[in-house]
Amino acid sequence: MSKIMIVEDDKVVSKELATLLELSGYTVEILCDFENSLDKISEYNPDLILLDINIPCLNGDQLLQNLRKVSDIPVIIVTSNSDEINEVLCMSYGADDYVTKPYNPTILKLRISAVLKRVNKNSDILTYGNLSLDICKGTIKTEKSEISLTKNEMLILQHLFNNRGHIVSRDSLMTILWNNAEYINENALTVNVSRIRSKLSELGYEDVIETRKGQGYILV
Amino acid sequence: MKFGKYLWDKIIHIIVYVTLSVLIVMLLNAFRVNNELITAVIVLLSAAGTVLLFIDFVRKRRFYNNIIHKLEELDKKYLITEVVTPESFYESELFTDILYITDKSMAENIRKYKESIDNFKEYVEMWIHEVKIPLASLMLINHNSNNENKKYTVQLNRIDNFLEQILYYVRSEYAEKDFIIKYTDLNKVIGNVALKNKDLILENNIELKADIKENMVLTDGKWLEFIINQVLNNSIKYKRENGASIKIYSEKSGNITRLNIEDNGIGIDNCDLSRVFEKSFTGKNGRHIGKSTGMGLYIVKKLCDRLGHTVDIQSKKGEYTCLTITFADNEYYNITKM
Repeated sequence: MSKIMIVEDDKVVSKELATLLELSGYTVEILCDFENSLDKISEYNPDLILLDINIPCLNGDQLLQNLRKVSDIPVIIVTSNSDEINEVLCMSYGADDYVTKPYNPTILKLRISAVLKRVNKNSDILTYGNLSLDICKGTIKTEKSEISLTKNEMLILQHLFNNRGHIVSRDSLMTILWNNAEYINENALTVNVSRIRSKLSELGYEDVIETRKGQGYILV
Repeated sequence: MKFGKYLWDKIIHIIVYVTLSVLIVMLLNAFRVNNELITAVIVLLSAAGTVLLFIDFVRKRRFYNNIIHKLEELDKKYLITEVVTPESFYESELFTDILYITDKSMAENIRKYKESIDNFKEYVEMWIHEVKIPLASLMLINHNSNNENKKYTVQLNRIDNFLEQILYYVRSEYAEKDFIIKYTDLNKVIGNVALKNKDLILENNIELKADIKENMVLTDGKWLEFIINQVLNNSIKYKRENGASIKIYSEKSGNITRLNIEDNGIGIDNCDLSRVFEKSFTGKNGRHIGKSTGMGLYIVKKLCDRLGHTVDIQSKKGEYTCLTITFADNEYYNITKM
């Protein structure tokens, strides 16, 4: 699993951030020695860095510039500074994304996985049993048959496929849908999930999505 | 400079001169000087008097008219000291010195004032960034706790909204220029705002529809995000009881893109409508619903003015409210092509 380094001087934020990311299956390291930050980063060699701007010693944007001279490690700037100017500057220094505090934790996780995906160039096909989800074509298929999915169904299934065996909360599904400009309500989500279920059973996968009352859905 | 008024100013000089001339003539008469000489003296005296008066008038007129003319041309009147040069007479030197000294003292005064405002603004901005850190912690703690409590999330978002409000108030009132205009995707901005208010919108059973076809506008993304967030929050606050909906759509005509945020809420009284952008104006709705500071739309208008967008509002009591932001596509602003 991917290694993430948190460069953030607020202890509570970094601790909670670490918990959040560890729960999502990442390996997390919190940078403590700000004086030798660059050495520590290359020592740990993370797959991604979450970088705050207001940190001791070197500023986040200076650290980023120094880092970019030696490394292409993906960096997401996480800051309470919500200036467009600052964002443009950080992006020009080579940041891969810019998230402002306070952030929606689900969104932060999505942005992280988007950056990691871009870097690792994961294939756009997810599989489950002999089902494969083709994100580019917007279809789900077995060797024999293929069913097309709506945008909403695709987004929901993609998240379930990515979190196989884990409970996916309805709220995180709603966040993903809203993040993709699908401003649907709770009822519509239920309808979408039941449509996915019937499409899956058409392909011979009955009851693979279970409802966990009060918690969400799980792809077993 | 008017000649009549100038003459009136010189009335004492003229009276003294004329009296003196009359006395001289009377004296000459008393000594029985011959009449030709007296006539010559009268002519010479009046000629000398007129010439002296005229020369003085012309010099002064040249000096003062120059100042008046330059003042009219100057956009910032206080820069007058930079363009005024004294004439060859003493009075003009005094006058320019006085101008210079008062101007300098005023400039210093303003500099002090500006410095204290800058410090204040800097502190408020820093303070807001500081407060956002524990806010971020709380959001994470809430999310990480076994069962995320949506009620907390909604309240934390409210705090965040209020923080943003003062941040942008400070920016709109005091900032020199801390925005950056570039082509911005309306879909992205609206997406961010919608996501931020997701829980509030769902909790209030509001249907949100976004139909943005003309999506690229010249603006500052973050400022616009704040603007739309304020407007959307008003739409949520003043929604109708059942079947509330909010529509966000754009339209383009020529170089102009309009973004409309329309709700089917309780609407605004006709007599209040023209005043909603005024500072601290709460109106009937604000008083009725409460929790209104009357600052939201005021800041929205200010920010739009600074960004060069126009903002209009239309409403019918009990039916709808529609706020329109108009973006101009101006080559001048487009830094990407520079």
